[in-house]
Amino acid sequence: MEVHAEREGKILITRAEGRVDGTNAREFEEALHAAIGEDDRLLIMDLQNLSYISSAGLRAFLMIAKKLQGRGGKLVVCSLTDTINEVFEISGFSRIIPTHASRSEAVAKHGG
Amino acid sequence: MSRKLSLEIDPRVEELSAITAAVEQFGDAEKWPPDMVFQINLVIEELGLNIMTHGKSEDLEKIEITLTAEGESLTIEIVDNGHPFDPTREAPEPDLDVGLRERAIGGLGIHIVRNLVDNLRYRRQGGRNHVTLVKERVR
Repeated sequence: MEVHAEREGKILITRAEGRVDGTNAREFEEALHAAIGEDDRLLIMDLQNLSYISSAGLRAFLMIAKKLQGRGGKLVVCSLTDTINEVFEISGFSRIIPTHASRSEAVAKHGG
Repeated sequence: MSRKLSLEIDPRVEELSAITAAVEQFGDAEKWPPDMVFQINLVIEELGLNIMTHGKSEDLEKIEITLTAEGESLTIEIVDNGHPFDPTREAPEPDLDVGLRERAIGGLGIHIVRNLVDNLRYRRQGGRNHVTLVKERVR
């Protein structure tokens, strides 16, 4: 699992790669906390290269989403594979975390 | 003719990696689509972690996992000697209708399992939990 962070204007964008499961979910969450600066309000997580996620990994998404909401910001996800999308749907995450087909769509919708 | 994969792990999170690798290999041989490999690994991880966290007792020594592929069906049996736990009845359904602020942390594992398999059965026999899942092949 790897987390890469970059910025597009005021938007923080992270790319998660590989597997996020019970063995590394804590590490994944810590990497995200470390990437989020004090002034960050919008985090777009590009999940194109996320190959696997379990409930342990979903927990990290929820923690980050709550953290950002707590400061008036939000977590947005994009480019989910079909199977990851199914897990998000089953978990009801699609109802509480805005989900977009592509990064450009997510930036266009939330970046303004 | 059925094909089997039998695994036995210590109840430690790190052991999940060995399961993942073995399931991937078995799935390759069975020509499963990648989605199926993902889903099978996911249900095994969720039930395995559940045993390691909630079923943990001093007696818990090993978790046995057997995959049996026959025709278009895959049957997974997970056996452990931890605390009695019936995943078909005992885990409360998470409330998915609340907003982000009220949304509870955790409680999703068994819910995901219930939604990904075609059949889920439980029996307690000889002081051990036996969970049996049936998954029809994903097309």
